[in-house]
Parts: sequence; structure tokens; C-alpha cells
Amino acid sequence: MSFRRRLLLLFALTVFVSVAAVSAIVLLTARRAFDRANDDQISALVAQFTQEFSRRGDEVSKRLQAAASTPEASHIAVAAAQTPSRYTAFVADAQAIAQIEQLDFLEFADDSGTVISSAQWPAKFGYQEPLAAGSPSTTPFLKDEETPSGHALGLFSIRTIPTGDRKLYLIGGIRLDRSFLSSLKLPSGMRVMLYENVDHGSEAFSANHLVTSGPVLSDPSRLESLVRSVQNNGRPESVTIQWGSGESELIHAFPLAGERDQLLGILLVGNSRQIYTDFRNQIRSAALLAAGAGLLLAIILSSWAAARVTRPVEQLARAAHQVAEGDWSASVTATSHDEIGQLAESFNRMTRDLLDQRERLIQTERVAAWRELARRLAHELKNPLFPLQLTVENLLRSREQGEDQFNEIFRESSATLLAEIANLKNIIGRFSEFSRMPQPQFQAVQLDELIENVIKVFQAQLERGGVKCQCELSTPQPIAGDPDLLHRALSNLISNAIEAMPQGGTLGLRTTQAGGSARIEIADTGPGLAAEDSARLFTPYYTSKPHGTGLGLAIVQSIVSDHGGRISVSSEPGRGTTFIIELPRNDDKLSASQAD
Amino acid sequence: MMRSRSILLAASSLLWLALLSVAEQRPHYGGVLRIAARGTPQSIDPATLAASGSANISRLIFETLVRLDDTGRPQPLLASSWQSEPGHQRWRISLRDGVSFSDGFPLDAASVVASLRSSNPDWKVVAVGEMVIIETPSPEPVLPAELALPLNAIVHRAGGRLSGTGPFSVSDWTVGKHLSLQANDEYWHGRPFVDSLEIAFGVADREQLLALDLGKADMVEIASENIRRAKADGRTVFSSEPAHLLALVFTNDARSEDEAHARSALAASLDTTSLGDFVMQGGGDPTASLLPNWLSGYAFAFTVAKTPDHAPQERSQSRRSPSWTLAYDSSDAVAHVIADRVLLNARDAGISIQLVGSGTADLRLVRMPIASLDCHLALTQLATTLQLAPPKFSSDSVEDLYTAEKGLLQSRRVIPLLHLRTAMAVRSNVRDFNMLPDGTWQLSNVWLAPEKP
Repeated sequence: MSFRRRLLLLFALTVFVSVAAVSAIVLLTARRAFDRANDDQISALVAQFTQEFSRRGDEVSKRLQAAASTPEASHIAVAAAQTPSRYTAFVADAQAIAQIEQLDFLEFADDSGTVISSAQWPAKFGYQEPLAAGSPSTTPFLKDEETPSGHALGLFSIRTIPTGDRKLYLIGGIRLDRSFLSSLKLPSGMRVMLYENVDHGSEAFSANHLVTSGPVLSDPSRLESLVRSVQNNGRPESVTIQWGSGESELIHAFPLAGERDQLLGILLVGNSRQIYTDFRNQIRSAALLAAGAGLLLAIILSSWAAARVTRPVEQLARAAHQVAEGDWSASVTATSHDEIGQLAESFNRMTRDLLDQRERLIQTERVAAWRELARRLAHELKNPLFPLQLTVENLLRSREQGEDQFNEIFRESSATLLAEIANLKNIIGRFSEFSRMPQPQFQAVQLDELIENVIKVFQAQLERGGVKCQCELSTPQPIAGDPDLLHRALSNLISNAIEAMPQGGTLGLRTTQAGGSARIEIADTGPGLAAEDSARLFTPYYTSKPHGTGLGLAIVQSIVSDHGGRISVSSEPGRGTTFIIELPRNDDKLSASQAD
Repeated sequence: MMRSRSILLAASSLLWLALLSVAEQRPHYGGVLRIAARGTPQSIDPATLAASGSANISRLIFETLVRLDDTGRPQPLLASSWQSEPGHQRWRISLRDGVSFSDGFPLDAASVVASLRSSNPDWKVVAVGEMVIIETPSPEPVLPAELALPLNAIVHRAGGRLSGTGPFSVSDWTVGKHLSLQANDEYWHGRPFVDSLEIAFGVADREQLLALDLGKADMVEIASENIRRAKADGRTVFSSEPAHLLALVFTNDARSEDEAHARSALAASLDTTSLGDFVMQGGGDPTASLLPNWLSGYAFAFTVAKTPDHAPQERSQSRRSPSWTLAYDSSDAVAHVIADRVLLNARDAGISIQLVGSGTADLRLVRMPIASLDCHLALTQLATTLQLAPPKFSSDSVEDLYTAEKGLLQSRRVIPLLHLRTAMAVRSNVRDFNMLPDGTWQLSNVWLAPEKP
């Protein structure tokens, strides 16, 4: 990844993290504030409910007191005081009194618990009312009241009318219905519901027993789990409900107990989270906007920074690449005096130093080469000169001998002189040849055929030296090469191999072809080379032979190199030596030569 | 002189007061009798009036060939005599002479034939001279009592107008709301004392009492459950014998022995005494029979075991827990209370009942009048109304009647609850009003005394 991209990524990441962190903090703070406000509102509403409950209870008590003061109640009380009591005339009285006193429930019962008259269920006369016993508390309470249309939840109170040594009980109340809930003053976004936890058969939850202060719920079954939880635990619970419209609402449930602590109702206070949701969405939108703007700013800043920072760095990188490819003259322009400018200056100084050092190295190597050449020439020339000197001195001394002896010596000396002179000429020819190495003339070369021709040249020498030749030639595809130069190189290597096996042996020749190159292996079973000899084997003028010039393998390497190939040697003492030549097919040159 | 004049003045004043006193106590013509009624008849046709509980209104305008006396025996009315041929399928009716309809048309055999054919399409009715011959599809030994039913009142229909031979004729009629009747001056039995009747229909019980107390009505109906209170409040109340039957009727026969036991359990669970005492405030007598005792004389023989254990025992013999629907007239508050009480009693016996305001149901709470003072005809009419199999009588003996009624009850299709009284409250200036045991008004002799200031 480029520096510019990294810089852009870094800027973008920084902006994103910053915006995200700020958004998260704002959201968290807002949520806490919302929750606190919500708790306050819920507490206030519950307090208001309790207050309204108490106020209505007092109202019920007053109405019940008024009912107890009616003439009809007095008549019933008189009847209740008599023995035996006759209540037949009072069946409809409770209904009439309840209507006047605006009570939803009203029952008259004697001290045996027998219902004398019932407003909510007139047919219930003669049945038993358990609350009509003893001296009940006058405190209003919740009661599950059975009516002809089912069970209903009511706010009840009890009054007693003494009738001599007996009592008449008035048990009355009002229904906790929509009007009761509607009297509560609700803050915006809040609503209150009442679940009548009265007997509704085998069902644990019935939507028909859910009383709402506002519109009827579209899907009251979503409250079922909350109601069940309160029914099971008897503790306040709360849950967030996602309605079908997409609006979420936090619902708090508070259990309402009856006079015997049984769970008779559940107050459900709902607080819409729409305000919080809207606020959260606004924060998210703002964060997205800020992130987008930050990203744009990051692009601009990274571009500016790239102009200031990465461009010189890229120039440096390009210059370094040029240097790596051998162009040591590469340099960069320092446009500033900061770290980047200093870096450019250092780079330019480094390339200048490199150029100077290379120049000095070349000169040193050149001197060394001349010295080596002089040493080699001196060495090569000294070897034939010494026999020449001895031969001439021997010839001069033979003048003092007899003519026959002189002639003999003269003949032998002449032959020696000629041989040494020929040796000198040979040495000079090799040096001359090394200095005049021609450039290869590429043409299609069948390597296998070329090797077979070379073998033919050495056939007599192989037989004479007792060397067996084993060939595995399998390069049917031609390569582009100079057949004469390759012939010379191969001849040199085969000649060396034969020389390495004076007692006879096996010469292995093997060719293979893989991909776009051909591989030639020339192996002998001679004494092999030491590791240090193998390392210097291709150095010019280095030879392991007593009378070698050290140019043969250098010439071979030069030829292979001119063909774009490479040569290597694998040898261990006692295990023979194998030269490996790898030559590219040089398809382009092959096509050009075939076109010609 | 002065003294003699004073004495004369005092004597004349006493005479005037005596005359006034005599006038208050002796019937005299004139006046408008105002009646308030609960029903809302949609027609003044006798059949429609009878069906809407306004048979008494029908009797003011129309008359039947025969009437039944207090003991239920047929007496001549428009018919002077009747005679059946053997087998009681063919009857010969002779008509009273000198009777005219209120529109002036004379009562003759042809008009009677036309009227009876209209009300009884099954009968073959022909006129032979001044005699009417009635042939019924099956033997009708109680045909005279049947002819006394308001349904069989003789009506003259001319130009869409109905006329009767009764003591009053229609002067104005607003459907379901108001009926004005004027005295029939040509009434064959003598003109009634009051000049006219103003009858307001569709008036609720409480409003009727209010109208009576405020002097806006002279006669009002008193619901059965209000009779006791109306009397206790000092009103003049005339009540009938228990002449209406309140009962639970099953729509279908019991399909199994289980269901029959469940029906018996329901009958045993019902606290009819409390229904009579509390709900009907004594305006109804608990009963286990279809016909009231005052009519049949044997109703006491029908009882339902009401021991606390009996209903659960009967219920336990039913392997399945019964669950029925009970329909009642939801516009009737008392019917509502009774239905609720039935529900409570049944629940105590382990029977589930669900109340429905109307429509089809397993059970119906019905109230129907005892149609006739003739027991045989009354039982037949009840069976027909309750959609039970018609009782078969081999004779007109009481034993036969008892057996027939017992058969109806043993079908377990009907559970009698109460026999209810009907009643009228009248103002003090209404004189000589009478009510027959079956609730029939006797208005022809009513006269209005002057109001006391």
C-alpha cells in the first residue's frame, strides 16, 4: 500500500473514530438524560394514579354513605333487623340507589352474608357475599366483582348500618374503567393502561381486560409476556415494546393488590421512546454528515500532505530504483529544508559517493588486472624461455664437443627450440584469441547434433585414452546460438574432461530441455576438484593444470554468457566433475534467424 | 221572613248536595276514559291485537260468536245457539238477530262466514239461510270455546276499514301509538256509559304509573312485579288470577338420556319460589304445571323436587357437562333478571348457561297468556305456542286433561316457572270496572264519576 493511501486511510480513520466517539458520548449522555426524565415522569404518574385512586376511593366512601342514608336503605335495614327477615321487596332497590348515587356496584347484605339486593347483578339475591362479615375496614380497596357480563375490577368501599344487634352491609364501588384512566393528566408521549387481572377462565391473559386511556391497542398480545411476568413475580417490571407501526415504547408495569393482597390489577404506564429515537436518528445523521465531511477533508489533507511529503519521497523511491538498476547518476531535487529535503540531499550525496567509489574500484581492478596479466605473461613466457636458454647454452657448449656429438646435440637442440618456440606461439595465440573473442552470430542450432559432431572430433582421443562416452541427448527443439562458439566451448569442456581422466574413465554427456531453456551436462569420472578450486575455476588465468593458461574456462564462460546462459560446476574430490550449461532458447533471436 | 228564607236556602242546599251525592254514586253517560298500555299493536285486526297482548282492546271493538263465563262455560254472544253433529266436526251456529256492525252493516250469516274463513282457513264455513255451518278438518269438541277466542272475533271488512259489533268503534288510529274509540250508540247490548276511549300505546310501566298519579290516564296496566307495590302505594288495582305462564322451553327434544337428566337437573335447580317472591314481587306463583291451579284444579299435583341435593344428583346422572344458550327478551328488564337467576341456579347445579339476547338458542324464556278459560283449549293453545306436540284428548274429563298435560311435561321440552297475574290500576273516578279471572277487561259498564276538587 502506498504512503499516500496509508495517509488517506489514517486521516479517514482518525476522522471516523473521532466522530464515532463524539456521537457515542452524546448518545450515551442523551440516553441517560432521557432515562432519568422517564423515571421522573413514571414516578410522577404513579403518584398521580395513587392520588386519584385515593380520591376516587374517598368519593366512593361518600357515595356509599349517601346510599346508606336513603329511605330505601333504611327500609332494608328495618327488614334486616326483623326475624325472620323478608327481603322480597328490595330486589330492585340497590339498582335504583346505585343509579342515583352514581355507583357501578352496590350490594346490600345482611350479617349472615346473604345478598339482599344487588345493583350489578340483581338476580344474585340470596347468594353469599364473603365481605359482609365482622367489622370491615372503611378503607377503599380493589375487588374482583362478578357481574352477568363477566368479572370486572372495581374500587370498593364498605359501610355498615347497625340494625339493633345486627348489621346491614353496603358494599359499593365504581369500575376502574377508561373514564378513571382518562382523569389522569398524562405528559406528552405517555399513556396509561390498566390490566384487570380478574378471573377470565383458563386464559392467563385476555385482551378484553385491557383498559386503555387512549385508542385501543392494535396488537395487545405484545403485552402478554409483561403481564405474565408480573402475574408470576408480583413485582414491577418494564419492557420496551416495538409496535407494528415501528414506534417503540417503554412500558412499566406495577402490580395492584386487592384487600387480601391478591393481584387484581396491573397498572401499565407507557412512555413513547419516539423523542429519544428521533434525537438518536438526528445524532446519527449529524455524525454521518460529519464523517462524510471529515472524509472529504481527509482526502484534501492527504492530497496536500502528499504534495508536501510523498512527492519528494516518491522521487527518492524512483531514484533509488534507478540506482538499484545500475544508473548511479540518478539524483533528486531538494525543494525544502526539512527532513525530506535533508533526505534528498543525503541521497544525492550517496549516489555521488557511489559513483566515485565505483570509479576508484574500476581503476583498482584495472591495475590489478594488468598486474595479473603481467604476472601471467611473465609466468607463461618464463616457462618456455628457460628451456630455450638451456638449449642455447647446451648448444654453445656442444661446439666444444666433436662434430658428431655436436650434430647430435644440434639436432636435438633445434627440435627443442622449435618446440618451445611453438609453445610460445601457442601461448601468444591464446592470449590473442581471448582478447579477440567475437560476438555470437545467432542461428538455429540443434544442440544434440552439435554435441554429436564434437564427439566425433574427439573420437580417436577418447579411444586412445580409454574413455568411454555415454550420451543422453534429448533436446529436439533448436535454440538460437552461434554454432562455432558453442562448438569451441563444448570442445574445451570435453577436452578438459578427457585430460582429467588420464587412466581412462567415463565421459557423460546429457542434454535436457525444460521450459524456455536447454541444459547440457558434461561429466567426467576424474579426481574431482576441491571446493576452493571450484569457486575460482572460471577466473581468467586461473588453472589447476600444470601447463594451462587459465583462459579455457574463462572463454567457455564468456561464450555461455554471450548466449544469455550460465555455467556452473559441481565437483567433489574423488567423485568427478560435472559442468552444467543452461542456455535460453532465445526465441526472439531464433525467430529473427529463421526469418533470415 | 229572613229566617224562613234562610231555612229555605239551607234546605235547597242540602237537596243540591244530596242530588250531587246521588249523582256521584249512580252510573251516568259521558266522559272520556283514558287508558295507557304497554303494547304497540301494528293493526287493529283482532288476530294482530291478540298476538301483541292487546286482546282486551280487540274485545272493545269486536265480538265473538261465543263468550266464556267465569267457569269457562260457553255462553251466547253473537251466536244465539249452536249445535254439533255427532263426531264434533260439523257445527250449526244460529246468529243473534238485530245486531249491526259499527259501520251500519247488519250482522248476517254471510258476514260471519267471510270473517271466520279469513281467520280460520282450515275450516269449511258456509252460510245456510241465517245459519252458519262450520266443518273442521278434525273433531273439535271445544269449538264453541274456540269461537270465543279473540282471534275468531267477527269482523266486517269494507274498503280497507274494519268494523265490529262491539261497544266501541274506531274513530282514530295511529299505528302503534294511539287509538281513539267512540261509544257505539247502536250497540246491541246497550250503549256504554263513557262517550269515548283514548288509548295510548307503547307507554312504559313507570310512565303509566306517573300518568295515573298525575291524572293524565284513568286506567293503566300494572306489571306483575309491580302489583304489590302499586297496592302498597294506595292505588286501586284490579288483578287477574295467574293467567300468564312463564316457562323455559327447549328448542328440541332431548337427544339422549344424558340430556334428559340434565334437563331434569336444570328444572330441579331453579328456585322458582324466589323468582315469584323476589323478582316478581308476589305477582307470580311458582308452578310446575302448564295450566294454573285455579283453572285446572290439579296443578298442585305437579311438583319438582327442590331438595338441595336433587339437582346435583340428576346432574351426576348426565355423563356430559351440559352447556346451553338461553334466549330471552333483552328489552324486558324483568326477563333479564329471571334469565340471570336461571343462569346462577343452573351454575350451582354444574350446568353452564350462556345468555343471548335473541336469535336461535337451546332454551327460550317465554311468557304467554293462558288463551282460554276452557282448560282443554288452553292446554292445546299452549302446546301450539310452545311448538310442542298437540295434546290428544279422548274425553273432556279432568283426568284426561291431567294425563295430557303430564305427557307434555314429561317430554322435558318445557320447564314451567311461574304463573303470573295481570293487573290494571284505575283512578278513583272510574266506576264499575271489573276484570275477569283471565284478565279480560269489563268496560261496558264503566262510568266516570265527577272528579273531586
